Amino acid sequence: MADILQTLILGLALGGVFALMGSGLSLVFGVMRIVNLAHPVMIIAGAYVAYWGFKLYGIDPLVMLPVAIVILAVIGILLYKLVFEREARSAKYSEMTVLLTFAVAMIVEGALGGLFTNTQRVTSPAYATDAIFIGDVFIPTGQLYAGILSLVIIAGLALFLKYSRFGYAIRATTQNREAAELLGVNVSMVALVSFAIGIGLAGAAGSLVSFVFSFFPAKHWEWIAVLMSLVVLGGMGSLLGTVVASFLLSVIAAFVGTYIGATWSTMTFFLALFLILLVRPQGLFGEKPELA
Amino acid sequence: MKRAIWTVAGLMSVSMLALGASAQAAEPLKIGASLPLTGGFSIAGTKHQQGYELCVDTINERGGILGRQVELLVSDNRSDPATAINQYERFINVDGVEAVYGTFSSRLSFPVASILAKNNMVHALPAGGALRIYTQGHKNIFYFQPNAAEYVGASLAGVIADLVPEGEKPKTAAVVSADDFFANGVWSGLMGEKVMDPADGSLVRDLAPGYLAENDIEVVFSERWPEEGYSDWLNLANQVKRSGAELIVGLTASAEEAVQLTRALKTVRAEPKLVYFSQGTQAEYLEGTGSSAEGVLVHTSWHKDAPFESVLAGEPFSNTDFVAAYQEKFGAVPDEDAAIPFAVCQGIEQAIIGAGSTDNTAMGKWLSERTKENPVRTILGRFNWDELGLPANKPFLMTQWNDGELQFVYPTDEFEGVSAMSYPKGSF
Repeated sequence: MADILQTLILGLALGGVFALMGSGLSLVFGVMRIVNLAHPVMIIAGAYVAYWGFKLYGIDPLVMLPVAIVILAVIGILLYKLVFEREARSAKYSEMTVLLTFAVAMIVEGALGGLFTNTQRVTSPAYATDAIFIGDVFIPTGQLYAGILSLVIIAGLALFLKYSRFGYAIRATTQNREAAELLGVNVSMVALVSFAIGIGLAGAAGSLVSFVFSFFPAKHWEWIAVLMSLVVLGGMGSLLGTVVASFLLSVIAAFVGTYIGATWSTMTFFLALFLILLVRPQGLFGEKPELA
Repeated sequence: MKRAIWTVAGLMSVSMLALGASAQAAEPLKIGASLPLTGGFSIAGTKHQQGYELCVDTINERGGILGRQVELLVSDNRSDPATAINQYERFINVDGVEAVYGTFSSRLSFPVASILAKNNMVHALPAGGALRIYTQGHKNIFYFQPNAAEYVGASLAGVIADLVPEGEKPKTAAVVSADDFFANGVWSGLMGEKVMDPADGSLVRDLAPGYLAENDIEVVFSERWPEEGYSDWLNLANQVKRSGAELIVGLTASAEEAVQLTRALKTVRAEPKLVYFSQGTQAEYLEGTGSSAEGVLVHTSWHKDAPFESVLAGEPFSNTDFVAAYQEKFGAVPDEDAAIPFAVCQGIEQAIIGAGSTDNTAMGKWLSERTKENPVRTILGRFNWDELGLPANKPFLMTQWNDGELQFVYPTDEFEGVSAMSYPKGSF
């Protein structure tokens, strides 16, 4: 019983981190139909912000989190203006952005490698390798803090989207871009701000990732498939779906790792992606696409 | 008049030939290296580039090889075997390199070995310890680490037999490993598995009963994690802890994996007697793990304090010289990922000088004729090879992290300066 409970806790702990890693990706797709393959490399960039704050000034990664959000959000604004804005009205926008974001990912990876070398890094606040033990069962404090903060940030974002005026505009644009524009929504501004928020969320995730996983510039290639499987399973563009999928898949992967084998735990994410595309392509919380 | 014209023409021809010969002599000697500068192996690949560059720069400062400056061509293979193959083909058939340096990792070296053999190039490997690479029948293949991965376990067995007091030796082991070419080789040796040839399924070596069984150590937990994308380290560490194993063997394929596993073992509060990892000598391992690294054993091919004497450009060049030169150029203390490629570069240089040309057949012959008394001398020590291309009678160094320093603890009779091994490990 203790084994089952422990596995559940470890799965949930990992799920919290994945939820934040995937939420920015989901938001950007939901509002702008950008399949942002550069999202994981932005998480790495956020992790570097936290790392240097910790390394040079001893600042806790949790304290560096807002700094990483701001820096990455500014990078997001510049990136949107330079790369994505011009083609925003193209009929092939989504398809084009796959290639564009792939190129951005490679450029950012190269830039990070040039700036910080390809050496692997990790921040080491005391709680990162500590745990709360209750009998035989333990809760890793690093993942616990990261998971709680992830949920707080995602809840804050959800409240912003639901109750703020700008949140209405974002949701309206997500549902129907043309209709929102006809009703007076400045969709260009909505897209810009949404992209900045999405990349800012990558910065936040990076701060948390910096003490949960070690990282280096090329690490993002390992994450993209996992994050895509979370977002697709949850329903592309659905924030709630991404959170549910993150917890669900992480818990399943933890049980697979414990009772079947570590090799198969990673496969869980890809198998889920395969199955959901076969059975329910719109994902758990996505809307069925309308037929033309 | 006619004779004078012929005389002048003759003189001009001789002059032009001389000029041509001189121009050829001045032509740089191109050497190619395809390295994983991006992708999963980028950390080690970047250090390999530094090792090669430092060696080539030093050779050039000392007058080059056979009077010719060396031009190093490095291409990024993105940690992809197919790209590595294409780049070596390009080096040989388009860029006209006269020699090559090997790439990093068994996964890339295995297919590259066939291409270099097909083109009759000397293949000096800085990394590529899987035994299967050397049993393909390739000639001119020379490994610049002490032995194949399958035999790494001999050093761990030696440590347990010689350094751990009787009655305190670990009796149970948890063996966890990356599903990686090199790590799988070490696993086979420890667990006593059969090594098969992937091409025809034939038996390469039967390693039964394995180094652990030979030392009466029972394996109570074993698990492999996938080569890429694994993130469930706490779960794995928890299973290791719950197995109650006294010896933890972590066949990590990179320093990054060693960091993840060490931190996870600390989090779950594992308390083994002995811990051995196959990667973790790098400075970033210590940075990522801090005091948790204390007591962790890691095998290595090189150590900064090893008193190896070697030659470079015909002059003495010690291991200490290498450490100083590396620190001056890159501002950091080197680790084996930079030292091993440096030794490869030394080996190729000595082969060219020994053969008197860049004829790779002659270079290969010269290298294969090296003996214990007349070896290749590198900062990794002396090298001569058996018929497979594996070094003869060269033990791995076993190192241990103690007081924030990587100290070499085994073998104890190789050279002076061996530190006492701390035992038992206890908590992380």
